[in-house]
Amino acid sequence: MPQLTYTSIDQTVLNTLSKPKKYYWAIVAVLFLGVMVGAACWIYQIFVGIGAGGQNNPVGWGTYLINFVFWVGIAHSGTLISAILHLFRAGWRNPIARAAETMTVFAVCIAGLFPFIHLGRVWQVYYMLPIPNQRLLWPNFLSPLMFDVIAISTYLTVSTLFWYTGLLPDLAAIRDRSEGTRKKIFTILSMGWTGAHDQWRHYTRGYLFFAALATPLVISVHSVVSWDFALGIVPGWHTTIFAPYFVAGAIHSGLAMVLTLMIPLRKIFKYENIITRDVLENVAKTIVFTGLIVGFAYATEFFIAWYSHNSVEIEQFRWRLLGDYRWGFYFMAVCNTLIPLLFLFKKIRTTIAALFIISLIVNFGMWWERFVIIVGGVAHGFSPHAWGLYTPSMIEYGIMLGSFSLFFFLFLLFAKHLPSVSMTEMKETLEHRGGHAG
Amino acid sequence: MQGKKYIMGLFKDEDQVVSTIAALKETAYQFQRVHSPIPSHKIMAALDLKKSKVGWFTLVGGILGLISGFALAIYCSTQWNLIVSGKPIISLIPFFIVGFELTILFAVFGNVIGLFTQAKLPTSKRMAFYDPRCSGEHFGVLAACEPMQQDGLKDFFQQNGGEVKVFD
Repeated sequence: MPQLTYTSIDQTVLNTLSKPKKYYWAIVAVLFLGVMVGAACWIYQIFVGIGAGGQNNPVGWGTYLINFVFWVGIAHSGTLISAILHLFRAGWRNPIARAAETMTVFAVCIAGLFPFIHLGRVWQVYYMLPIPNQRLLWPNFLSPLMFDVIAISTYLTVSTLFWYTGLLPDLAAIRDRSEGTRKKIFTILSMGWTGAHDQWRHYTRGYLFFAALATPLVISVHSVVSWDFALGIVPGWHTTIFAPYFVAGAIHSGLAMVLTLMIPLRKIFKYENIITRDVLENVAKTIVFTGLIVGFAYATEFFIAWYSHNSVEIEQFRWRLLGDYRWGFYFMAVCNTLIPLLFLFKKIRTTIAALFIISLIVNFGMWWERFVIIVGGVAHGFSPHAWGLYTPSMIEYGIMLGSFSLFFFLFLLFAKHLPSVSMTEMKETLEHRGGHAG
Repeated sequence: MQGKKYIMGLFKDEDQVVSTIAALKETAYQFQRVHSPIPSHKIMAALDLKKSKVGWFTLVGGILGLISGFALAIYCSTQWNLIVSGKPIISLIPFFIVGFELTILFAVFGNVIGLFTQAKLPTSKRMAFYDPRCSGEHFGVLAACEPMQQDGLKDFFQQNGGEVKVFD
């Protein structure tokens, strides 16, 4: 990156915070409408009852849980990029770390909504809190659902604090280059950060510990999500490979979402010199790796079903391949494992259009992976007379639309009001080829 | 410190800052601090700083979290003292998950508290002798001197290749 200087980095990022054009607000308004559709569907469900969704015996877990797992998964690559690659001193993660972290925070917020939506009687959510009550009831921490409450709320808190801490030096940089109301806002947000040597001394240490703590956390969170399923005895769920399988799948889908977001961001904000083709190529290479892991997990599930001689498990996987939801399985196998292998060709992984299209395909495939796992297990369980199929209702589609709209709505607001690339870490890249050197 | 003059040398190069700090130590001027847009190992080494104590806050938070996680799970299960599926009321393996998550959560709280208390944030004090260019492309070395040494300190920074800013 020979042409980048401290000034050009600042200028490029600060230009993104200029007054938005009308079409920006038009897109924000459309997305807000989508959010309102989702909210209206949820309100309708609250008044009518959980039956407004299509979940019913035997498929009690439908799109609400699918979207929950999908969004938690999307969140994971943000922490991979900001924390794990930071510990590995992978300098290429610096241009995309901020946007990926932001994606994490928003995705966890949205994921966290789905258990509330799925509750039905959402006003009784406080039953999950360990607080003294006249019912003398306490949460049962033997339940993987309670593990989930703890894990997701920890993940949301930690990723938000990590994100904000990482923002501090950049908030100060914006404060120093703005006037009027914006200056006042950023003065409060930057908390008096001046980049004094004693501030950096503690900051770099604290940032390192953040990364060191976020790394095991991110692995534990999706493991805990996988145990929501694996600790049940449902065929197709009750398997020990679920934790690593889910973690790899989460990072796979998250990296795809990083490409989906970064490619338009790079184009619109003229970040070509910062988010270079090499950075996107490295993300693509990592997607090949995670895609191979999930492909291996898909194959292992079939092998173990056959190897176990367990007739219920064998039937579950025969049905997955040839049954009612076979298309979902074909989508997941092809989109998540085979198509990312195209990134083995340098020409494809360095072509921006190809990167973008394949990232969308992987996102699509990963949504279907969650559908196949979650719905497939309960739809085709132990007793043939209890087998059944599931179709999402319009209310569920509305809520799903709302969740996707909310994600992009929040991301658009972020991109135009906060620095979507870390100026500080980019400057460090010029000096040291690494992030907040600790 | 009243009556002292505060002067900042502004540099664009990290190595110039390092050599200026070394030279400043040999003078009678009082080094105050360095402002920089990035954390710099070279500057930290030149200042010969002690290791930050933030880690101790993190450690204490983590230990408290581990204890709290197990205590919470054990307390809740003893309040509903019913054996299910032959599993013990206090089942340490599943409770380890609660313990683990709260270890991370509380360690992060400790880390944030440590970072903010040690770095003395939020603050408005440091803004008094600060140049906004230090969050952009400049490194600012702040030094204090007696009013009569003012010209000498200005010359010192200029000789070392810096721009000079005098604070009133």
